[in-house]
Amino acid sequence: MVIGPEPSIAGERTPLAASPAAADDEVVGEALPGGTAGGGGAPKAIQGRSLWQIAWRRLKRDKVALAGAGVVVFLIVVAVCAPLIVAAFGHPPNEFHQELISQETLVPEGAFGGMSADFPFGVEPVNGRDIFSRVVYGARISLLIAFLATLLSVLIGTTLGVVAGYFGGWIDALISRTMDVFLAFPLLVFAIALAGVIPDAAFGLAGDTLRIAMLVFIIGLFGWPYIGRIVRGQALSVREREFVDAARSLGARGPHIIFREMLPNLVAPILVYATLLIPTNILFEAALSFLGVGIRPPTATWGGMVSDAVNFYTEPHFMFWPGMAIFITVLAFNLFGDGLRDALDPKAR
Amino acid sequence: MITYILRRVLAAVLLLFIVSVVTFSIFFIVPRLAGATPETLATRYVGRAATAETVKIRAESLGLYDPVVVQYGNWAKGIFAGAEYDYGSGVEQCPPPCFGYSFVTNQPVWPELKDRIPVTVSLAIGASLIWLVGGVATGVLSALRRGSVFDRATMGIALAGVSLPIFFTGLASLAIFSYWLGWTAPGGSYTDFTANPAKWAYALILPWITLAFLYAAGYARLTRAGMLDTMGEDYVRTARAKGLAERTVIVKHGLRGALTPIITIFGLDVGLLLGGAVLTEKTFSLPGVGKYAIDAIVNNDLPKVMGVTMLAAFFIVFANLVVDLLYAVVDPRVRLS
Amino acid sequence: MTRRTRAWAAGVLALTLGLSTACGGEANNDDNNTDPAKAEFNAALTKVFNASDKTGGTMKIANAGDWDSLDPGETYYGYAWNFARLYGRSLLTWKTEPGEAGNELVPDLAEGLGEPSEGGKTWTYKIRKGVLYEDGTEVKAADVKHAVLRSTDKATFPNGPAYFEGYLNLPAGYKGPYKSKGVNTDSAIETPDDYTIVFHLKAPFGGFDYFAHMPQTMPVPAAKDTGAKYRQHVISTGPYMFEKNEQGKSFTLVRNPKWSKDTDPLRKALPDRYEVSLKVNAEDLDNRLLSGDLHLDVVGGGVQAASLSKVLPKPDVKAQADNPGSARLWYTSITPQVAPLDNIECRKAIMYAADRVGYQTAFGGEFAGGDIATTLLPPVIPGHEKFDLYPVGGDNKGDVAKAKEALTKCGQPNGFATGIAYRAERPKEKALAESLQQSLSRVGIKLTPKPFPQGDYFSQYAGNPPYVRTNKIGLAVNGWQADWNDGFGFLSQIVDSRVIRETGGSSNVSVRIPEVDQLLDKAIAETDAAKREPIWTEIDKRVMEEAVILPGVYAKSLLVRGKGLTNVFVNQAYGQYDYLSLGLQ
Repeated sequence: MVIGPEPSIAGERTPLAASPAAADDEVVGEALPGGTAGGGGAPKAIQGRSLWQIAWRRLKRDKVALAGAGVVVFLIVVAVCAPLIVAAFGHPPNEFHQELISQETLVPEGAFGGMSADFPFGVEPVNGRDIFSRVVYGARISLLIAFLATLLSVLIGTTLGVVAGYFGGWIDALISRTMDVFLAFPLLVFAIALAGVIPDAAFGLAGDTLRIAMLVFIIGLFGWPYIGRIVRGQALSVREREFVDAARSLGARGPHIIFREMLPNLVAPILVYATLLIPTNILFEAALSFLGVGIRPPTATWGGMVSDAVNFYTEPHFMFWPGMAIFITVLAFNLFGDGLRDALDPKAR
Repeated sequence: MITYILRRVLAAVLLLFIVSVVTFSIFFIVPRLAGATPETLATRYVGRAATAETVKIRAESLGLYDPVVVQYGNWAKGIFAGAEYDYGSGVEQCPPPCFGYSFVTNQPVWPELKDRIPVTVSLAIGASLIWLVGGVATGVLSALRRGSVFDRATMGIALAGVSLPIFFTGLASLAIFSYWLGWTAPGGSYTDFTANPAKWAYALILPWITLAFLYAAGYARLTRAGMLDTMGEDYVRTARAKGLAERTVIVKHGLRGALTPIITIFGLDVGLLLGGAVLTEKTFSLPGVGKYAIDAIVNNDLPKVMGVTMLAAFFIVFANLVVDLLYAVVDPRVRLS
Repeated sequence: MTRRTRAWAAGVLALTLGLSTACGGEANNDDNNTDPAKAEFNAALTKVFNASDKTGGTMKIANAGDWDSLDPGETYYGYAWNFARLYGRSLLTWKTEPGEAGNELVPDLAEGLGEPSEGGKTWTYKIRKGVLYEDGTEVKAADVKHAVLRSTDKATFPNGPAYFEGYLNLPAGYKGPYKSKGVNTDSAIETPDDYTIVFHLKAPFGGFDYFAHMPQTMPVPAAKDTGAKYRQHVISTGPYMFEKNEQGKSFTLVRNPKWSKDTDPLRKALPDRYEVSLKVNAEDLDNRLLSGDLHLDVVGGGVQAASLSKVLPKPDVKAQADNPGSARLWYTSITPQVAPLDNIECRKAIMYAADRVGYQTAFGGEFAGGDIATTLLPPVIPGHEKFDLYPVGGDNKGDVAKAKEALTKCGQPNGFATGIAYRAERPKEKALAESLQQSLSRVGIKLTPKPFPQGDYFSQYAGNPPYVRTNKIGLAVNGWQADWNDGFGFLSQIVDSRVIRETGGSSNVSVRIPEVDQLLDKAIAETDAAKREPIWTEIDKRVMEEAVILPGVYAKSLLVRGKGLTNVFVNQAYGQYDYLSLGLQ
């Protein structure tokens, strides 16, 4: 069904294609790993002992990618140290400050959303929570879910991709068709439906933990075919390489060939596409929270904050901060991912 | 070729079947695993303070006591053979494709859903034209002036574009252009094209541009990379060597090579959008298929959810099918593999 | 309030905070006797604003959502009942007058109020002669009988009110006139002649006139009854009839040439035409209302949160607005079934510790939310008496000292932990859960917010006792609006312990007081309204003493008077403008 990446775009060397980075909302939600994703004809199997050194040298020269990496590291630090940062500069993220809110119109009394030295980003309408603290805490949820979901996609995608590529035949056909099924789902609609019917407590989990697990599961589950295809394509080509033949003729069996010979050669493309999948997943999580099926309040999420701000569109300060947080984070990952890909794929550029 | 087409069509139908089974299962099996009974499910679809008897009658009339397989069978039958619906005072035929009757309003789903399609089509077609033209033009210019200020600037903007969530850009543009400046229509003021084309365009211009900006960014990046690739190919070099005008080389050889994958992706993107641009429609309150989907889910209106999921899946699968078949026509190797 | 109320604001929900309705309340703070046509805040609250008898014009109406059904036999939204009177005539209706008078039932299709006999077990109504359908045929008592009977068919009309099948003495196993064709239903409704209709009840019920005012008694000619499809074209008996009805989009009403003022003393029928657009974006709707492009937001639930700042701070715009209260109470159930709330002192601790201003703010503040409540019965309901059993001082922010004292008596001096349920789709309830979490934490009571999908809120979660007990949901955000302004309509579903089912589905989450049940029975059988009302007050006090309900706000809403409207006033019965009398300049 799906024009696999193969016939359609694989010939394309344009890694930019619609790498997941090309995800805007609709791509995230509605298209995401879909045909577009296949666009990233994978870098031709890259190898060579000095690959990593070459890559590192290239990366070092790429100032933009380094800046992206810098921001990513900064964001991770912010997320990990959120409690410390908030203790130092903000107020607890769920603490009310209704004394700052107009009882008549429910928006903060001060200018720019009640911005002050005490509340650098201002306060929310209605309950007056510190927007700065909530943006900082929002980073935790956003990054945690994006990383875990990507990990899940990579695990499933790599496993099934390698299996499909290595064994070929009906196994390959089965796995490829499964990927097609996933890609045919109206993703966002489906995700909303699924997130909506999951009960309050299930599988021994409850509260935020359950919602995070659920989101990781949903986002990860729909992201794997994207990784799976790339890995399968790579595995198909690696399988035919001399060193694999050599190993086979020396009597190596399936597992050995897969783990010892093939996987190491797949690490580079997997790394690149995993990096580029992260921003897509951040957008996806934000979209689900925006639609009200993500993490439950009062826990702060960026998408949820934008959604709350909808009712107060006449005071755009409330959507500005979480919106910018999403933007900067996604941009940083995209910049870094692009640089990484360029560095690892000598043919790109 | 015929067998290839048949195989593809069959695969498409099978896909739709699987999508329907999975969606149906989720809505029926998950709540039941969580302890719901036909009665608790039916309480969603009765008036307030309904008696236990009313709830039972409702569960009965919705067929909630039937085994899930039977319920699925009835649903699927309606699509191909139509269904009968008891209006109380009489029985009405619901002609195929009958997606059943809303659990909440008791009205047939398909006519309502059908009404939503023009909205989504308007949104998708308008936005896609803008982004296709804008994205490709920007990409080509960038590729030709690789490394120039223009190239860097547009690629920077494009990267920013793909990094922005539409619900944010949408809301921000609504606040700026509609609320502050008053240039564009506020959200939710959709008018049918047939009713008033000017109002139709006025209401859609902001959603078009917002949506197109995000896509155009991706297409610009894609076109640029594609152009750079093809311009380096032997046949382009040959064309140049033959002494063809640079213009001809770019348009006839370079762009054509770069466009093929873009058209493919374009087909798929449009297919996906037609299935409901959920976030865009929600952000701009457009009464399209995507908004319908959200409303249906919020109300737990299963027949509507099934209908909209199938419609969306149909567009995706259909777009894939078309692209596949086109490829088979263009590249004979595909059908042989 | 149940899922009905959800539907109530249907489409609005998605993007808004707004769910509250409206209705008369204590908002008439300014009782200056100024020129009735002068535009000022609350000008249409207790008197007629811009009185006029000018006819003609097209009234432009919008709805952010859609009607649940235009079929009078099934509709269950307050605004739909108000609006249905334009195209249908029920036996009785509310007086079309501002102020207290709106709470009075007057005959409409009937010639007079119901005449009870057998101690309230039988109710007889005389129908006016010469009332015509839009096709010219005369309305007969049999048509009213058919209308009421068809509404009891809950397979066809699942969403409608269920009072008639609950109270009428219908034959066992009766399934409505479609399925039980030819079954003799004289045991429930008799029509001795074309102009008399007699209702027989299973047990005496003093408030049957309230049933007779529901649109379910608007006559439906059996020959033209198309069951669930009837909503597509309702046969009019009122001054207006359907011209065009594009479901889910718009409909128009035009004058019904067969309607005559001679048989109808209530309706002014001023405009020539009504154009109603459905599913209009809520913010857009507000803007158009303020700019004069629209005359009426038919839902009557007040403006969106974002619009408050366009109305309240601007004196000239504020002068176009009214702020009525409604028969709705937003409250929180405190369930004694969850330890340690089985101890009344622990429940009292919550009553004292709760920040009432925070409650009010969560629901939209003083104007869009409502007034801080200390009782169950809202002020517009007869029997309301102002009292506060748990005074917390002037600032209404809660009394930490008293709460701690109660906690100590309860044996939980350091507080305790419990869950608070709310409907996930409702931002106001979410804000409230978070507000209570804040204010109760001051005395060590730790709340875990538990959002649930509103469709299953009562059936599976907050209204499902086993679930509540196992998951320790001590508090449940709740709300209720009476179907009409009367103690029965308001209290019976939320304080009668017998409506609680172990299988879930009841709006009464926490009140299980045998004495209250007895008081309810006593009031229901009482046919004298003056004797009924003190009983409602007594019930209110008894429930508050047990501290099983934390009242929040008596809902109010900020309505904007469309530009160019005449005869504008708030009908207390609906808590919104009276749609029968509106005209255009």
